[in-house]
Amino acid sequence: MLVEGRDKFQKDPVANLIDLENREVSVAALHDRDLYELEMEKIFAKGWLMLGHDSEIPNVGDYVVRLMGEDQVIVARHSDNTVHVSLNVCPHRAMHICISDSGNARAHKCIYHGWAFRPDGSFIGAPIEKEQMHGTIKPKSELGLKKARCQVYGGLIFATWGGEEAMTLEEWMGDMKFYYDMLFKRTDRGLEVLGPPQRLTIDANWKTAGEQSACDGFHTLTLHQSLLDRGAMVGEAGTEHEKAPAMYGVNLSANGHSLRCIPADTSWSLMAKNPQKDLTDEQRLELMPPPGITKELLPQVKKNLTPEQLHVFAKAPPVVGGMFPNVNMLFIFSPFPDGTLGSALVLHTINPKGPDHFEWVTFFFGEKDASPEYKDMMRQAAAQGTGTSGVIEQDDSDTWPHMSESSRGVIGRTETLKYQAILGENRPADWPNKAKVYAGFSKDDCQWEWWVQYHKMMTA
Amino acid sequence: MSITKPTPSRAGPNAVEVMYGSPVYSQVMQFLNKEARLLDHRELRAWSSMLATDLVYTAPVRSTRRVEGFHEEFGSIGHFDDDYNSIMSRIDRLVGTASAWSEDPPSRTRRFVTNVTVHETETPDEYAISSYLLLTRNRADAKDYKQLSAERLDRLRWTGGRFLLFRREILVDQVVLGMPNLAVFL
Ligand code: FES
Ligand SMILES: [Fe+2]
Repeated sequence: MLVEGRDKFQKDPVANLIDLENREVSVAALHDRDLYELEMEKIFAKGWLMLGHDSEIPNVGDYVVRLMGEDQVIVARHSDNTVHVSLNVCPHRAMHICISDSGNARAHKCIYHGWAFRPDGSFIGAPIEKEQMHGTIKPKSELGLKKARCQVYGGLIFATWGGEEAMTLEEWMGDMKFYYDMLFKRTDRGLEVLGPPQRLTIDANWKTAGEQSACDGFHTLTLHQSLLDRGAMVGEAGTEHEKAPAMYGVNLSANGHSLRCIPADTSWSLMAKNPQKDLTDEQRLELMPPPGITKELLPQVKKNLTPEQLHVFAKAPPVVGGMFPNVNMLFIFSPFPDGTLGSALVLHTINPKGPDHFEWVTFFFGEKDASPEYKDMMRQAAAQGTGTSGVIEQDDSDTWPHMSESSRGVIGRTETLKYQAILGENRPADWPNKAKVYAGFSKDDCQWEWWVQYHKMMTA
Repeated sequence: MSITKPTPSRAGPNAVEVMYGSPVYSQVMQFLNKEARLLDHRELRAWSSMLATDLVYTAPVRSTRRVEGFHEEFGSIGHFDDDYNSIMSRIDRLVGTASAWSEDPPSRTRRFVTNVTVHETETPDEYAISSYLLLTRNRADAKDYKQLSAERLDRLRWTGGRFLLFRREILVDQVVLGMPNLAVFL
C-alpha cells in the first residue's frame, strides 16, 4: 500500500503524493480512500463552495437541495429575503429534512417525527408543544439545523463550513475576483439560470475534472480534435494544428482559481472568419461583444466594470477556467451548424461521491436583461456544446474514468501526473497587476497552481 | 438554430387513439423498430434519413419534486436541445471524424421500444406517439451496462409514402444520469 493509514496522513497527508520540486502528483492520489476522507474534511468542509444561483430561489421560502462534499444542504430564501445554507440533516435523529430537489416552504417539517424549521434553519418546535418532545435539556435556539456561512457574489451562492474565523469569500477569491467580476458582475441585473441543472454521474475521482478546470488548454488540440477538424473551434482541418492560434492567450491564477483569456481578435477571426486588427477597446466591444453580451447590454457593461477591467474584457475576455476546488466554467462563443455565432455561459460543479465517482452538475446562464430569444439561443448553444450531450464535453467525461481506472492498478498508481511544461509568469505591459499572469501558449502553470492550493489546504 | 416554440409533444386529451393492429399503427411500429435497429447498428446516416428537416429533438432535465409538484418535474434545460441541423452536425462528428472519442471505441447499445400508443392529431397525416424506451449501453470491457429508461413523445408526419420524425421529447426517468454522457441518440 502506498499510503499508510490515517494517522500518518494527519501528520503529513500529501508528502508521498505531491512532489513540489518536480511538479508531479502521484496517480495514487486519485484512488486512496483515506486521502479522500481527508479531502472532504480539509477542503470540502473548509473552503468556499459554489452551490447555485439566487435566481433559482427568487421567492421567500424557495429552496434547492445541493451538495457540499457528500453533505446535502438546503439553500433557502428566508422571510427577510436573505439566503441561508443549512445542513439537510434533522438534529433529532438525522432524517433528511427536504426530500425533494427544490420547492417552496415557509416551514420545513421533518417527515419522521415532525420537528419543524424555518428557511433560515432555526428550530420552530416539535409536535404536541405542551409535551416538549425536544426535551428541556437544550433550548430551542440550540436545536436548529447546522448552518454553513453563506455569501452571495454576483448572484452565485457560496457557502463554507469554515465558520466566522475562516477567510471571507473575497479573500478566498483573491486577485481572481477582479476577473470574475467581468463574468458575474458586469451588468445591472446580472445573470440568471436558464433552468434547473443537468446532473450525471462520472466514474472517476473528482480531481480528474478538478485539475482540468484550471486552464488545461492543451487537451483541446487532441481530445477535442473532432471539433477542430470540423472547423467548429480553432485550427485548420487536416493539420496537426501547428498554428493553433487559440492556444495563445493569457492564463491567470490565484489561490488555485484560474481563468483563461483568449484575445478577442483571435476569437473573431476564427469564429466569424472576419479578421480585424488595430481596433480600440471601444471598437472591439462594439464589433464583438464578449460571449453572452449583446450590443444592447454594452452600456451596462461600461458602467459596471472599471476602465482597467474593461480593457481586459475588450482585449482578451476570460472564456474558460474554474474556481478551486470544484467549479469549472465556460463563457464561450459557440458557432451553430447553420453558421450563426452563438454563445454559452456554463458553470459546472464537481461533487465527490467517494474516491471513484463524482456527480457532474451543469448550470446554464444568460444575462437577465437579454431578450427571451437570445436566452433560447444560449440554452441551445450550451446544451449542444457542453454538459450531458455537448459535443465538446462528452469527450472529457470519457477521459476521466480512464485516469481513475489507472489508479486502481498497484503499478499504475506509482505513475505520476506531470506539470512540467512551464511557461512562467509574464505580464504584458498593458495587463493589470492582478493574479499570476501567464501570457503565451497555454501550458501547465495554472493546473500546477491548482495542486499547490490543494497541497496548502491538505497540509493546513 | 431554431428558436420557434416546438409543437407540443404529448397528444391532447381529446385525441383519437389509433387502433392496435391498424395499418397506421403497424407503420408506426415499423418506423420505431427500424430506428432502433439502425441506431443500434450505428447506421447513423441511414437513421438521419428518417428525420424531417423541421425536427425538434429535446430531453428536458428532471428533478425530484413532492407529489404535488410531480407534474413540474421537467425543467426548461435539456440534456438534448437540438434541431435538425445540430443532429446532423452530431452525426457528422460521430461518423465523419476519426476523433469523436466519447463513442470511439463505440458503445454496444440495445434500444428496447415497447408500450407504443398512437394518437391522431388535428393535422391529418401527423400522429402523436408515446413509446417506452430501455437503452442498455455497454462499452469497452465493462462487465455491466449503463442503462436508461424513458418515455418518448414523438410526432411523425406521413410524407411521400413514409413517416418522418419531426418532434421527439425524451422524458428520462433518472434525475442524475448514470452514464457519463449522451453521446448516443435516444
Ligand atoms: S428525525 Fe426529524 S423529527 Fe425525528
Ligand atoms: Fe475539454
